[in-house]
Amino acid sequence: MTSLLDIRDISFAYEGSPPVFEHLNLTVLPGEFILVKGPSGCGKSTLLRLICRLNQLTGGSILFQGSDIQSITPAKLRSSISYVAQIPQMLDLSVMENLLLPFSFAINADKSPPGKNELSVMLKIFYLSDVSLDHSTMKLSTGQKQRVAIMRALLQEPLLLLLDEPTSALDQESALMVFSIMERLNVEQRRTVITVTHNDYQPETVKSLTYTLANRSLHRSS
Amino acid sequence: MNQIIDISTGQLLLALLFILIAQASSFIYHLGLNRDIAIGTLRTFSQLFLMGYVLTFILKTSNPWLTLSVFMVMVVSAMFIIKGRVKEKQIPYILPTFLTMLVSYLATALFVSGLVIGITPWWEPRYFIPAGGMVIGNSMSALAISLERLFKDMRQQKDVLEMKLSLGANYREASNDIFRNAVTAGMIPSINAMMGVGLVFIPGMMSGQILAGTDPLIAIRYQIVVMLMLVGSTAVSSVIVMLIIRRRCFGSGEEVLLTPR
Repeated sequence: MTSLLDIRDISFAYEGSPPVFEHLNLTVLPGEFILVKGPSGCGKSTLLRLICRLNQLTGGSILFQGSDIQSITPAKLRSSISYVAQIPQMLDLSVMENLLLPFSFAINADKSPPGKNELSVMLKIFYLSDVSLDHSTMKLSTGQKQRVAIMRALLQEPLLLLLDEPTSALDQESALMVFSIMERLNVEQRRTVITVTHNDYQPETVKSLTYTLANRSLHRSS
Repeated sequence: MNQIIDISTGQLLLALLFILIAQASSFIYHLGLNRDIAIGTLRTFSQLFLMGYVLTFILKTSNPWLTLSVFMVMVVSAMFIIKGRVKEKQIPYILPTFLTMLVSYLATALFVSGLVIGITPWWEPRYFIPAGGMVIGNSMSALAISLERLFKDMRQQKDVLEMKLSLGANYREASNDIFRNAVTAGMIPSINAMMGVGLVFIPGMMSGQILAGTDPLIAIRYQIVVMLMLVGSTAVSSVIVMLIIRRRCFGSGEEVLLTPR
């Protein structure tokens, strides 16, 4: 099977600092569920940010569908690889306006935005049935914002979903909901997911590949 | 009636009473402005006297290169003042800002002196230098405000910018609000000045002409040209500088380069 993502011998260092990691390799096939674990500050988030070019590599290359990500227009790359940050960011607008934000960008001009009914159905799938589309996102809890952020990232139908510590700021109940959503996306929609975490989460319903990032390198754990 | 009353040295020193009042206020209320007021006063005296002698010399010699050199010194000085105010180390903004200032101010001053007022020759220092000075002074403040706002907002809203970029926005779409707010912040003082002119205050140039005995109806025409020129040059230079510097805040992958301080 052709790989979706090929991380080849990459290195990264912040200016004037020692390398975060060096000579790191990873191949991701379509439909895989990748879990990257490791202690705080080991570079897990940086790895995801490099894949979507929110940081720039200092060595090596990353191929997405066989093309070097440096040769893909940043907006095009990020509409195919959606990154959801650890702390969900919302605009001070309604839930609906936040969900439809990707469709206001030129790269998604040819995609038709989902209607109200479709979004209401999705809210239920994301355990947000008590949230109305007209709700201000400023009134949502962090857990609800995180689910809205994942839902928004998915609306532009990315080929790869990058989740950066999606449950670190959540209580156990909200965290379980997010885990359940991640696994269902992989099982039911065959979404390729890479998620990083420093806790003991182990998927129950999906076959995952777990890697550990420590001492500047990545090792397969299971 | 039309004769200008000269201000003697003694009378000039008498005006220092205003500074004494300001110094006393700062001292009594611990405003911490005594040093700045003292330096500001010294600079006002020395810079304006120097300018007076330079202008006297330039008006006498009437040389285009000398006129343009004075204009150049004014733009370089404005750039240093902006650099002192905008404490940004990460993004190189000085050279593009300087070049934009130079080109846009020169174009504005040429347009006003050569076409609107129709002076021959176009570089006639009596018109060209005051017109250039007003454009530079006004637009310099606008640029400093806009640049400060742009860098501050880019840093404060880095997470929001990255959220938009992650959802497929290009750098322009992601930073549209920040760009707009930065340009607007710089332009508001010029627009407010247009609202208040003639009602709240009589501008310096018009006052000067009236004091020098010019018919107020001629003075207002000059002032109208100046007000329009200031708004136009501020808009052009702010928009161009913000467009260039905004791009410099993003890397080759359209990633946000500014890191929190």
